Amino acid sequence: MKGINTKIIISFLGLTSMLNGVFMLIAVPFSIYHNEPEQWGILNAGITTILIGFLFWFFNRNAPKNLHKKEGYLIVTLGWLMLTFTGTLPYLFTGSIPSFTNAIFETISGYSTTGSSILTDIESMPKGILFWRSATHWIGGMGIIVLTVAILPLLGIGGMQLFMAEAPGPSADKMHPRITETAKRLWLIYFLLTFTEFFLLKIAGMTWFDAINHAMATMSTGGFSTKNASVAHWNGTPMIQYIITIFMFIAGANFVLTYFALKGRIQKVFKSEEFRYYFFGVIGLTVLITIIIVNFQDPNLVTSIHHPKPWGETESAFRHAAFQVTSVLTTTGFVTADFTMWNYFATMLMFSLFFIGGSAGSTSGGIKIVRHIVMIKNSFFEFKKLLHPNAIIPIRYDGSGVPKNIIYNILAFFVLYMLIFIISSITLTFFGLDFESALGATASSLGNIGPAIGTVSPVDNFAHLSIGAKWFCSFLMLIGRLELFTVLILFTPFFWKKN
Amino acid sequence: MKIIIVGAGDVGFHLAKLLSFESQDIYLVDMDAEKLEYAGSHIDVITIKGDATSVKLLKQINIDKADIFLAVTESQNTNFTLAVIAKKLGAKKTIARISNHEFSQTTDIDFAEIGIDVMISPGELAADEIRMLINQSAFNDTIEFENGVLNILGSTLEYNSPLINLTVQEAREKFSDIDFITIAIKPENSGETIIPRGNTVYGANDQIYFSTPKESIKKLYKLMGKTPFGVKDIMILGASKIGVKAARNLCDSKFNIKLIELDKERAKDIAEKLPNALIIKGDGRNVELLEEENISEMDAFIAVTGNSETNIMSCLVAKSKGVKKTIALVENMDYINISQTIGIDTLINKKLLAASAIFKHVRKGEVLKLANLHNVDAEVLEFRVKENSPVTKKLIKDVKLTKKGVFAGVIRNGVALMTFGDFQILAGDKAVVFCLPEAIHQVEKLFN
Repeated sequence: MKGINTKIIISFLGLTSMLNGVFMLIAVPFSIYHNEPEQWGILNAGITTILIGFLFWFFNRNAPKNLHKKEGYLIVTLGWLMLTFTGTLPYLFTGSIPSFTNAIFETISGYSTTGSSILTDIESMPKGILFWRSATHWIGGMGIIVLTVAILPLLGIGGMQLFMAEAPGPSADKMHPRITETAKRLWLIYFLLTFTEFFLLKIAGMTWFDAINHAMATMSTGGFSTKNASVAHWNGTPMIQYIITIFMFIAGANFVLTYFALKGRIQKVFKSEEFRYYFFGVIGLTVLITIIIVNFQDPNLVTSIHHPKPWGETESAFRHAAFQVTSVLTTTGFVTADFTMWNYFATMLMFSLFFIGGSAGSTSGGIKIVRHIVMIKNSFFEFKKLLHPNAIIPIRYDGSGVPKNIIYNILAFFVLYMLIFIISSITLTFFGLDFESALGATASSLGNIGPAIGTVSPVDNFAHLSIGAKWFCSFLMLIGRLELFTVLILFTPFFWKKN
Repeated sequence: MKIIIVGAGDVGFHLAKLLSFESQDIYLVDMDAEKLEYAGSHIDVITIKGDATSVKLLKQINIDKADIFLAVTESQNTNFTLAVIAKKLGAKKTIARISNHEFSQTTDIDFAEIGIDVMISPGELAADEIRMLINQSAFNDTIEFENGVLNILGSTLEYNSPLINLTVQEAREKFSDIDFITIAIKPENSGETIIPRGNTVYGANDQIYFSTPKESIKKLYKLMGKTPFGVKDIMILGASKIGVKAARNLCDSKFNIKLIELDKERAKDIAEKLPNALIIKGDGRNVELLEEENISEMDAFIAVTGNSETNIMSCLVAKSKGVKKTIALVENMDYINISQTIGIDTLINKKLLAASAIFKHVRKGEVLKLANLHNVDAEVLEFRVKENSPVTKKLIKDVKLTKKGVFAGVIRNGVALMTFGDFQILAGDKAVVFCLPEAIHQVEKLFN
């Protein structure tokens, strides 16, 4: 690989790996507290990961610091692969997920904040391992590369390349002139919000272990739960579900806006076009689905989820509508109700949300709202142009014109996304899934959502998929999290050409 | 420190780059989205697209908290306006780039009063630079400290230099009667500048930089393998502002000046203004014309037209006709590093000069002077050594400067002293340090 600074790539992989190992060690006390024999497996995994990372870093610590675009893309993709492989170690060493394929699936599902699981009985898992599952969400949500940039100011300039390659959305906003400061602020907000949610969930009645795990899975828009029934376990405690709904909503909004809101500049939040669509979209859809549940629920479809209604019929409908809309739109994937059992219209509506996603600069996956806004405006202006061929019509977003290259990038992203969706659905039917499940599994994996439709619906899981299908879904989750280009560019011939 | 730079052109970009190496908070404002995108993806700054003369925009980026406001757009008038507005809005220090050097010389107008603290005129800096280079004709780079008490000089090593194939350590022992410190070597055909260690070997045609007191300059000619030559006849190509300013400076120093200008009106105008110079109307790209004007008899050739390529090509022509010293003005920053490779003695770039001059004002510490060498991407800083600064607490050999910086000498009571291993820097000294841009921050810590 001439012309590529391999040394800095390897040293960076080492650093991220060491950080990852530290997170594994955090899981150990949970295992010790519950007196589980798995504590040694997790400890071993953590030490092994740190050691591998240390060796990677140590032999390349004097790497030249020049970092160009190619190195940036390689670091992010290889960094995530490195995370994935070391992330499987706690599962494999403790024997809690003995199959390598399953461990890879569960790990990528964790880091990519998808939340699809191959586990059939979650509650029987050791506590340390459950914590590690949620931790993978939390690490992957804000991005470990961003974390590395934040705490290791070793890259003044190259940091921006890495940041842009990992952060979701068509363009990365800076909150501060310096990239390390921006990354620090992002992680600080992330941490504070997670802690606040943990605290509120504990007060609302969760055990402290469940509260920690759900807080991490919510803020990262992940969706792993510690209960077999997911958040439906607390259908009798509406308060818990409202707290999670609100925090899912925050996690799906741009963190830069959250930063402004926390600094007391609320008016700036509502000035954002994307936020307005996001906010009123969630409200509108919630109202619509509440009406469907109350008045038009299909009597032939019977859900297996238990629905106590402590605060009455309408409140229950509203709560589940709000929860499911937010959960799917922000690509979290927590479940309180099986949306495939409301009626076909509601199911289709929810499925279409798989393709929307949250805001740019959030921890959510999917296509992102801002891209839809720009695309729809662009299509609309094509009509105007038909009538006035010589008119110059800028596409305005947030009050200023969107540059042509960003529009092209967004259109290319969308076309690529849909193309991958179609090809992958075909591939999954080849691996044995039925038509509906293949569509659902693809959309869910690519958008990092979690539950889907068909045999992978909110009350099912991904355990029954064939080995090929599991690997393929893992790949989709990874490219979905890194927003296609970052990973796929490595498969283009011109990336590897010298010039 | 919060620094707002308006204008993401070459000067602005170069400044932002220098400053970002040391983790300053930099806001780069420009109207050109493409320039900003380039800057944003190459250096760690926040870029703002828009018209900086808009008060709303300036307020949005909290100009009242800015420590330094730099107006370095192409337009002098814009820069003036910006500096004035910025000062009124609360920026602590304003610096404007100007093109009319009269402003920086006049004492009739108090610019600080209307809000412009510092004015930088790149053309004037370039003209001064040319005068210095002509005075040290055997060297292709010159920086003077304290009026020439200590000098940093650059030169290529000729084949007959006694230094060749010696290591730095050996050379120091062999020529211990001559005071000099080699601070940088750029080997032939290499784009990389290295800071020499004791075991670095001198090679023929290497570009080397060294510091030396005034008295030793003459002795160094022999070491470089050069025979000193007096410059008397100089041909200047292009009656640009820099050309005229340089011609006037050099006329005053009793050089014989031939100035070639393409535009007839301009030539006529200049001829009236410079009675001691010979003004020729003609195209400098025309080799016959140059020959007619006896280019081969010239001691130095300075090309300062508005076109970099013309300047470079005509210097090459001059070199082939036997002119010993050639200086070309180039706009393109990337050409700076290739001057030796293409055989021109010195390439000067006014944007780089401007950036260095401005950079000095941005320094927090006691930086007396900041200059940069023409052919390498490195800076030379002169510090006033303060009481109790870390550098005064150790011998030179124990001060950690990594591989990216080197002490080039000290001026104590008006005398230049060479800083070898056992030297002790004292408070009150003026110390000169040569370093690569990424090490500036580290060097500054030593003096604070």
